[in-house]
Parts: sequence; structure tokens; C-alpha cells
Amino acid sequence: MKVTLEVRPRRKPHLPIEAEKIVPRTFFEETDGLSVFRGNKELALEEIFSVAIEGEAASVDGVEITILGDSSRIKRVGEYMDGGRIHVMGDIGMHCGNFMSAGEIVIDGNADAWLGREMRGGTIRCHGSAGDFCAAGYRGEKRGMRGGTVEVFGDAGDFTAETLAGGTVIVHGNAGDLAGVDMKDGVLTIMGDTSMACANMSGGRAYVHGTVYDMIPTFRNIGRETVGGDVFTRFAGDIANRGKGTLFIRNYKYMD
Amino acid sequence: MKKCDVICPFCGCLCDDLEITVEDNRILGVDNGCTLANAKFMGKERLTSPIRRTDGGWEDINYDEAIRYTVDMLLDADRPLLYGWSGTHGEAQCIGVHMCELVGGIIDSTTSVCHGPSILAIQEVGHPGCTLGQVKNRADVVIYWGCNPLEAHPRHMSRYTTYADGYFLDNAFRDRTVVVVDVRETETARVADEFVRIKQGGDYAVLSALRAIVRGKGDMIPPSVAGVPRSQLERIVRMCKDAKFGAVFFGLGLTMTKGKYKNIRNAIELVDELSRHTKFTITPMRGHWNVYGSNEVFTWMTGYPYAIDFCRGIAFYNPGETSAIDILARKECDACMIIGSDPGAHFPRKCVEHLADIPTVVIDPVPTMTTAMANVQIPVAVSGIDAEGTAYRMDGVPFRVKKVIEPTLPSDTEVLGDMFARMKEAKGL
Repeated sequence: MKVTLEVRPRRKPHLPIEAEKIVPRTFFEETDGLSVFRGNKELALEEIFSVAIEGEAASVDGVEITILGDSSRIKRVGEYMDGGRIHVMGDIGMHCGNFMSAGEIVIDGNADAWLGREMRGGTIRCHGSAGDFCAAGYRGEKRGMRGGTVEVFGDAGDFTAETLAGGTVIVHGNAGDLAGVDMKDGVLTIMGDTSMACANMSGGRAYVHGTVYDMIPTFRNIGRETVGGDVFTRFAGDIANRGKGTLFIRNYKYMD
Repeated sequence: MKKCDVICPFCGCLCDDLEITVEDNRILGVDNGCTLANAKFMGKERLTSPIRRTDGGWEDINYDEAIRYTVDMLLDADRPLLYGWSGTHGEAQCIGVHMCELVGGIIDSTTSVCHGPSILAIQEVGHPGCTLGQVKNRADVVIYWGCNPLEAHPRHMSRYTTYADGYFLDNAFRDRTVVVVDVRETETARVADEFVRIKQGGDYAVLSALRAIVRGKGDMIPPSVAGVPRSQLERIVRMCKDAKFGAVFFGLGLTMTKGKYKNIRNAIELVDELSRHTKFTITPMRGHWNVYGSNEVFTWMTGYPYAIDFCRGIAFYNPGETSAIDILARKECDACMIIGSDPGAHFPRKCVEHLADIPTVVIDPVPTMTTAMANVQIPVAVSGIDAEGTAYRMDGVPFRVKKVIEPTLPSDTEVLGDMFARMKEAKGL
């Protein structure tokens, strides 16, 4: 089944649209009477999108949703997604792939904040940049992303992979402040630069192929180590938190 | 006539020992108050009637018209923002929450631009706090981190710390050690026993280093952390561990700098670590006199302390998404009612521009910077001067602020109550 949703022009284009119904399972089970929210107004899906559905699917994994047009303010797409595929041709709003457990989301443009929040499984690939709290948790939660893969080909914002507790996060560009803060498990890889990486880390592994600025002073330098042909400095920490995490860094600079 | 034990409705200290001289329903003098209290009680720039913007300026309108305009504006909006609340009393805040739920809007207080990060940290690791009375009577080590009470909370040091007598301290002034941590030498730093100058954005690293030293892992700390020599960090840790009772106070220099709420989490975890050796507590230096009250009221009514989105009919909370600055900067609201704060003076330009683009109503006794963006302003009585209600001090202790003169204008509670009644009527409730 191929579902094509094209965003219609709106009178108030900045108001966010909450569209958690846009997941493959929704279209696999029922295509009538779907609604989204614009602020406090509940609207039929067709008021915001022009909808085209072709063919049928034998399972949720046979459903592919394509989103066209300006979807930068469409929130919660792929929330609780448990199979199938979503392809966003442009940018996507906040909370894309929240709590996702299976399937694949591909974003051709940029993703707003909280991409893959508390994700359990599946794959998200963002070919642009991601906002703050990419692959992170929710306010007050002790554990964030627990499984699956988030790959960002551009940059990621502050607090990327905050409270990461499982799965894999790869940022091909730079990450903002405090990437991997309060990380507990899983693997974080940053190909570019970041700052204050993995503060208060208590478990898991992180690799920074660029430079860590404002390096946290409470990581113990273990020595040089070669990983995948690249030479890193290996750190253990965060000692301030009795941490047992491992941090591999190509270059680092303390704020001394 | 002199009115005694008056509570000052300016900052989070809620000093309750002011003496106000009143004659013919006019305030003539303020005793025991700081300069900020004097300015608030003696202020004379109040509006006397609601005003509405016209093509060339402003026109006076009556309360009925102003309230009707606000009610229609909020009911018509898809995503109204109800912002401010820290400069009004708890009873008005209660009505605000009910209104917000009814219109399906977003309610946020000034918390989101001051100690919102502190609350986010407290939600992660808890709050080892105490009342200011405990600090006054017991604390022999006081740390002010990223705050400047001599200028922002002028009587904090004389009522609760440096210059206050303490029941369990023989000579409080000599027995107390005061440490100031800041990026510049403030007025407060000049009266401290020890000043720690940190490089901008280095708070998190310094807090981590202190935690490691407390845990006996100081050997791994570099010789200097964010401009602070390791020897000074070690001296501070010794001072803290030797204290009988330590109190940390922190301000926006910690909450709104690089690291944001993780700074506060780190500070709380340092206090937690120190409490394995002695008694230590931590308290945010709240700014607006009843900002703490807004958090209390919002929490007991909605489950969340600020930045609450009722658009879907249930409370949703996610600062960074549902907080006023973020909503305004992203143009994600289509109407705004502001009460008890002045975002026009403090918000980024993008936010203020959006306020000017959408219908905006200000409820405030005086013309403010926000007035310039408003379509309508409704003047009200001032809580603690000619209106009364409940307020919470920075340590969470509730007080009843009383009026010292008789009102000539309706209070926030009366204006909001009228709006809420009309909204219910319009909705057939």
C-alpha cells in the first residue's frame, strides 16, 4: 500500500499540526475518519493533506507513507510506529518517531527537536540536520532511547542522545552541547565536533572523531587506542558520577 | 497611619517586616524596605481605565468592553497563549488555569525564562531544600552561585544569611563563611569571604570537579578548571565538608548559561554528595514575588509547574516546545493574554515582533514595554498594595499578602473571574 500525503497551504502556516495518526498501522487498519489537531481544533486529515492511497498491504510492513510539501510544522509523525516505512520528502516537525519500535523513517530534509524520542527499535535516517534532544528522553525521564538506530547525516543540536540507554546514534556532522549527557548504555558516534560530551555518563560507549571542546574534567585518561584504524584517546567516566562509561576521542580541549 | 508587618510584593524574598505610612488612602512612605520595595509601593504611573489601540494612538474604554474583547479573542483563537502570572496572587492563577483549559490554550509563567531549568533538574534528581529560616538559624557556610543578591534581592543577605543573627550561631556574622561563584566580581562578591571567578560557560565543569574532589578523586582534575585553580576547588570542598550546615543559593547565572538545566542537576548532585559528610541544602533565588506560587498552583491543578499545553484538552508539558519564548519565536500561537509580567522588556526581538502581529491583551496596573505591542490593556489593583491574595516565598512558604490601601480598580481575580464567567456562558457551561 502506498499512501501519499501532500501538505496543503494553510491560512496560519506557523501553527503546528499534531499528526500522531500518521503511522503505517493507521492506514493498514482504517483509512476513514482520520483526524489531526491544529491547536485546539480537530480537523479531518483531508483538511491538512491531500491524500492518495494506492493498493493494499498484507501486513503493516507493506505500508509506505510519503509526505510531500512543507511538513516542517507537522509534529508526531511516526509516533509509536511499529512497522512499515515513512518517507518525508522535506523537513519534519518535532517528535518524529517518538516511541517507535520497528520500521523505517527516512527524512530528506531537516528534523526538528526530539527526533526519535524514547525510541525502542527501528531505524530513522535524517539526511539533513536534527534539532535539539535528538534520540533523547523526556523531561524527568531517567532513560531515553532504548533501541534501534538514529542516523543524522547533517548536524545535531544540543543534548543529542541525552540519557541514551540502548541502541545506536550516529551523527555525521557536529553535535551541540552535552551530547550523550547522562548516557547509560548504547553507542553514540559523532563524526564531527561537540562540546561537554557525555557529561555525567554512567555507561555505554561514545566515539567522537572530531574535537570535544570544553571537555569534562572528570574523565580518567586511559591512554591511546586504535579503533577501526583510527587512533583515539580512551577515557573512563564520568568519575563524578561513579561512571563506567567509555569515551573515545580524537582531539579534546579543556576549558582551563 | 502606619501599617506594620506588611509583605513586600516585589522579589522572591517576600520580606514581611515593612512599615507603610498611609494617609487619605495614599501611601506616603515605606520603612524597612529596600530600594526596589520603595519604588514599587511609591510608584505613581498607574493607568486608571482600560485602553484600546486606535489607528493613531489609544482610546479609553470601559471594563465591559475590554473584558468582552479579551473573551472573544481567546475563544476565537486556535492556539492562545496565556503568559505571565508571576506578578499576581494564587487565586488569580487558579482562575487562569481554568480559563486556559476551557479555551484550549497554553499557560506559562515567567518560570520558563528564569528557573525553569531548575525545575527540570529537580524533576530528574529531586530537591534537597529547606526554608530560609533554617538557613538563617543554622547555616555556617553559604554559597551564592551565579546570583547577585545585593542588587537583585537586596535584603536576602541581611534577613537570611551574611548579616542575619542565627539561633544556633554564637556570632553569626563572624561564624558564617560566604562564598560567591560568578563570572564577574559583583557587589555581592566584594562582601564575600571567598570569590570564585569562573569562565563564562564553565559552571558544569567546575561542579563536576567539586563532586569528584568530594568523592576523593581530586587527583585526576586538571590544574585549572574553567579558570579556577584546583587548589581553590580543594579549599572550597574542605570548607564545605567542615561546615555544620551549608546552603547553596543559585540564580540565572547558573540556569541560563551553557549547560542549562544540567548545571542545576550537577549542583543538586554536588549537594547530595556533600550531604554524605554534613548537612547541605540548595535553593533557587526566585525573582518575581510569586513565581514560586505559579509553579505551586499550576502543579496542583495540572500536574505540571509551567509551560502547560491544553490544546488537546489534556495537560501536556514540554519546555522547549510549550514554553512561551519557543512558541512566540516560532509564531506558534495566534492570540496572547499577558498578566503580571513584562515580556516586551525581556523577550527576544522575534518573540516581541510576533506579539505585535497577533491580538494581544495586557492585564497590568501600569503601562509597560509590552503595552507597545498590545491591542488592549486592562489596569488592575496591585496585589500586596490594594489587592490581597496568596503568594509563595522562594523557599516554598506561603504567605497572605494584604492590601494597605482601599482599591479603586478591580483586582486580577475580579477581572479574570468576570472573563471566566463569560467564557463559560459562551460555551454553554
